[in-house]
Amino acid sequence: MKRRVSPVVWLLLPWALIYGAFFVFPFLFSFVLGFLHYNPLNVAGTSFAGTTNITRLLGDSEFHGALRNTLFFVVGTVPVTTTLALLLAWLLRGPMPMKDALKAAMFLPSILSMVVIALLFKLFYAPGGALNETMRALGLSGHGWLTDPHTALPAIMAMDVWAAVGYYAIVLYAAFTAIPDSLYEAAALEGAGAWATFRHVTFPMLKPAIGFVLVINTIRSFQVFVEVLVMTQGGPLGSTNTLVMMLYDTAFRRLDYGYASVIAYAVFVLSGVFSVFAMKRMRSQTPEQTRGLPA
Amino acid sequence: MKRVLRWLLLVAAVLLMAYPLGWMIAVSLRTPNGIGLRYYGEVWNAGPFDRYFLNSLVVAAVVVAGNIVFCTMAAYAFARYRIRGGKLLFFLVLSTIMLPKQVILVPLYISMQRMGLIDSYWALTLPFLVDPFNIFLIRQYLLSIPTDCEEAARIDGAGEFFILFRVVFPMLTPALAVVAIHTCLTNWNSFLFPFILTNSTSMRTLPVGLALLSQGAHSIDWGHLMAGAVISALPVVAAFLVFQRRIIGGLTTGMTK
Amino acid sequence: MTFRSGRRAAGAAASLALALALCACGKKANESATTIRFWQFWDVGVVAPIVEEFEKQNPGVHVEVEQLTWATGLEKIQAALASGTQPDVCELGSTWLPRFSYEGVLEDLTSVYQAERDSFLLWDSAMWKGNAYGLPWLQGSRALFYNRDLFRQAGLDPDHPPDTWDELLDASRRIRALGQDVYGFGQNIGEKYVLYKKFMAFAWGNGGDVFDAQGHVAINSPAMVEALEFYLKLAPYSLQEKQEVLDQYFKTGKLGMQVSGAWNLKNYALEAPNLDYGVALVPRPAAGRGEHASFAGAEMLVVFRGSKQRDAAVRLARFLQAYPQARAVSLAAGSVFPASREAMDDTTFTNDPRVRVFVEQSLTSHTPPAHPGWVEMEDVIDHAVEECMYGRRAPRWCLDDAAKQIAEIAARFDNKQGTTP
Repeated sequence: MKRRVSPVVWLLLPWALIYGAFFVFPFLFSFVLGFLHYNPLNVAGTSFAGTTNITRLLGDSEFHGALRNTLFFVVGTVPVTTTLALLLAWLLRGPMPMKDALKAAMFLPSILSMVVIALLFKLFYAPGGALNETMRALGLSGHGWLTDPHTALPAIMAMDVWAAVGYYAIVLYAAFTAIPDSLYEAAALEGAGAWATFRHVTFPMLKPAIGFVLVINTIRSFQVFVEVLVMTQGGPLGSTNTLVMMLYDTAFRRLDYGYASVIAYAVFVLSGVFSVFAMKRMRSQTPEQTRGLPA
Repeated sequence: MKRVLRWLLLVAAVLLMAYPLGWMIAVSLRTPNGIGLRYYGEVWNAGPFDRYFLNSLVVAAVVVAGNIVFCTMAAYAFARYRIRGGKLLFFLVLSTIMLPKQVILVPLYISMQRMGLIDSYWALTLPFLVDPFNIFLIRQYLLSIPTDCEEAARIDGAGEFFILFRVVFPMLTPALAVVAIHTCLTNWNSFLFPFILTNSTSMRTLPVGLALLSQGAHSIDWGHLMAGAVISALPVVAAFLVFQRRIIGGLTTGMTK
Repeated sequence: MTFRSGRRAAGAAASLALALALCACGKKANESATTIRFWQFWDVGVVAPIVEEFEKQNPGVHVEVEQLTWATGLEKIQAALASGTQPDVCELGSTWLPRFSYEGVLEDLTSVYQAERDSFLLWDSAMWKGNAYGLPWLQGSRALFYNRDLFRQAGLDPDHPPDTWDELLDASRRIRALGQDVYGFGQNIGEKYVLYKKFMAFAWGNGGDVFDAQGHVAINSPAMVEALEFYLKLAPYSLQEKQEVLDQYFKTGKLGMQVSGAWNLKNYALEAPNLDYGVALVPRPAAGRGEHASFAGAEMLVVFRGSKQRDAAVRLARFLQAYPQARAVSLAAGSVFPASREAMDDTTFTNDPRVRVFVEQSLTSHTPPAHPGWVEMEDVIDHAVEECMYGRRAPRWCLDDAAKQIAEIAARFDNKQGTTP
């Protein structure tokens, strides 16, 4: 290859331009805010905070609660959503009647905005709502799902799994279609059963796609917010207060943008660590595909 | 037998997933005077909804097209080249979505304002032209497809852009369908940024128009809210059916036959 | 909606360019005139005719109206202030106004206050350090809704809704006894921004408040503790749920009483036309003791400092505040009333027995203390009351703790002075 401008530069240029124009400043801005006392109503009164925002975060019991809730949310939803999505995608393979309709219906929840979904589920979980009525019909007693501090967060998590699983199932299904049939034929020739085929053919080939689903879902879950704002506003008794819910209150209601920035960067670091971990675990095991260019 | 069982399992799962949506449609149709489309008419006539609709369409079209082209380029670079500092660069791509967007809101508004882009189509489209989700998705997809065709084309002396858009692009269609749908969805339903970054009625998108319409100061206007949600969901359902039929569907049969 | 080929994308790009061109020439038509930007929360269709009337009366002044959402309006105002592009005139909620006054971003409207103080209610939340920074525009009190059918079934007189705490408790108990899924009273739980409004009605009625007359924290005063203890006595007979659920139960005739706002009048008429219900003042502690207090939310009009059209902006704010205009918005909204005292004598409001109660209730309603830290204090009170309702701790301890936290918040605002005008 001749040493002109590497194609990599051209390939990355559009992303770099957009990123440079619209995201570099906001990122730097919010990073710097973490070391300031800043509120948009009084920009002139901005003062240097040093590391007080950070030390305050470490000792803040509200933050500890929000961190605990958020981790619980991530650990409780991401594996469940991914496993269910994988299962659905696996069920979808091969020809079957009404396949298009099934796929479309699976995708429906992700078409709605989270605000609408959360409002619907608020009614769904309410006393007299569909869930409690069904339970009562089955002879069980009803429950205030969103008003009981023990069940409010799990109820939101269940809704989130419901809302997300179809989308990820379609992503994984698209990856299924990229697996060449020759691999299955080879496995069949060797007399591999369904489980062996999945473990040794499908799963390794799906690893990059599963990696995508895990990372994206993790990043999104660390930022769970809209559903909390609509359904519980962090209550009852702080049991559903998540990091971004706390960030929202801190910035837009308490006007403490500096502290909010520190919370935001905590989310950033946490989801970064989890993403790198997930990507490492799900690294493609297919032969080396990247092509080196002379440096 | 096994097949039938599998199918029934799928149907059960799908019904479970579609159930609240049926409920939503029911709420939107149930008016005080019986079943009817009254709320739909009222929503549509409550403001210049044709304009909102057009705005949403234009924004979705531009953003989807931009993402398909630009994200494929970037993803191709990340998947196929060993870039110095590539890991860091890729992390930088993802970082755009790892920082909660609430904290970027005010600085993004400030920079938009300094560039004079507030209340324009630029504000509604430019920042969203390269969605990191998509770069990541395409990259992962590329990692799972063999490089044989690309190598063959390269040996034939094809340039990188030719290889990307003529050789790799067609193989990417299942992933690009997901990209298109994902991008379409995120932007179609996006409310906060379009609301903050525009001011005039003529710049409103559908979600902004609907949010302003069905909001009550203290109570929820269910009928209108759900009618609005159905109206805004319909085009996406249509788009999805077209995408998956023409692209995923076509490709799968092409590959299995 | 297909974006499959590059050609389509090019077409879309072309239509984008076209649309850009369209909006570029359509926009600033009125460059020479004085332009006032007005941000508010009501349907533009309601406000536009009012603004047109103002433009007619003030030749050369053009008003650009923009509607905000209740959910995200504040974010937009903050972003605009951070970049110096705030509107000239803006509607702000009374819980928010004190912080804006304190930060010095609002024009001093004390001269208007001096001229109009007796014509309008709810000036309190506009005041900061003796000056007024907002004009009361619209207000909404909470009153007691009661189901007349359930009253009859429980052997209560539907024409004599509870007047005192004891009567409220008794009525709740008797209605609760009617059936498994029938509740006497509705108590908000598990949601922020609402809970304190319901509890504070009883606290204010009992002579309690967040601060005493000297400005000391008084949230743990005996009157407050007593009010909270009474509120908890209602719990066994109450449905403890979110506002939507309470409304739903009331609408379907399964909830005897709840304290709620006038928006329900409109909703019940639409969604439950056969519901036989009445509206009454929030009960007072005892006959001859305390008052029929309630919470009132006020929508205030403010003028942002730095407005280049200060005089025209103040003129617009005063025009909007005046009774005919506030009345028009109020009638269209159906959930709020004019802050003007003229509404008290307007037969449109006083002829309907239910609406009349709301108008009456507003005379003994309270707004939260005009403190810049109120939004944080509100969270503290919510949490304290909720802890008691979940039986975690006794009222005394919850309120002592709340007092400590509120004092800390107040101290923070005392130490850090905002940029005062």
